[in-house]
Amino acid sequence: MSLTLSLDFQFTTSIEKLWSALTDSSKLAKWVMENDFKPVVGHRFQFRTQPFNGWDGIIDGEVLIVDAPNRLSYTWASAGEKHTVTWTLQDLGDGKVNLHLEQTGFSNAQGLEGAKYGWGKWCGELKKLLEQ
Amino acid sequence: MSENNQLRDVFDAIADPTRRRLIRLLAEAEEIPLHELTAQFQMGRTAVSKHLTILKEAGLVLDRKVGRETRFRLNASPLREIQDWVAFYSKFWSTNMLRLNQLLEEEEE
Repeated sequence: MSLTLSLDFQFTTSIEKLWSALTDSSKLAKWVMENDFKPVVGHRFQFRTQPFNGWDGIIDGEVLIVDAPNRLSYTWASAGEKHTVTWTLQDLGDGKVNLHLEQTGFSNAQGLEGAKYGWGKWCGELKKLLEQ
Repeated sequence: MSENNQLRDVFDAIADPTRRRLIRLLAEAEEIPLHELTAQFQMGRTAVSKHLTILKEAGLVLDRKVGRETRFRLNASPLREIQDWVAFYSKFWSTNMLRLNQLLEEEEE
């Protein structure tokens, strides 16, 4: 079983520009984290940030779906948890684009143990950082 | 079996809408007897009791006998890990979206 985080955002831009922001490594670095992302199915990548106590600051991923400029999906593994992140882009017309995010958590017993170990701490620390 | 005696996966336990409702009901009170919980549902006592057993196995519910009735209360701690990542990533992406929006606006100029 898993839970899903589902969020929608709207941007005044073109679907191509939004797609580029989601798939171009240097752009991702500006709004997510430093990374070696490539929009190629099967490509393994890392997002990296400063380590926090108990967390190495690394997110490992593998690209699952590349369907430009509408759909992008990759795995997102960190701190003993493995999630799948899926982005769906929808052109709303009038220069507006909807961005839908789904993040699904695959938590097996092992994942949950890992989460108990480091996740709570990491959340607190990163939250603090994001609020600065 | 893990140390906290969890027989069942928490994710499994909360997958069912009846059990999620039981959790919400139990979250609002210190302790609720079975007959009061049953009164909240269309289904019978046995069915509600089965759901409570699953929650119990996941470590989400504790029970005790008081006279002839069984009283249930919530043990929310196994839920915390689940809630944490959802709440955390909700915040994480929303904050990142502000930066993404800025990036896209810069490109427009």
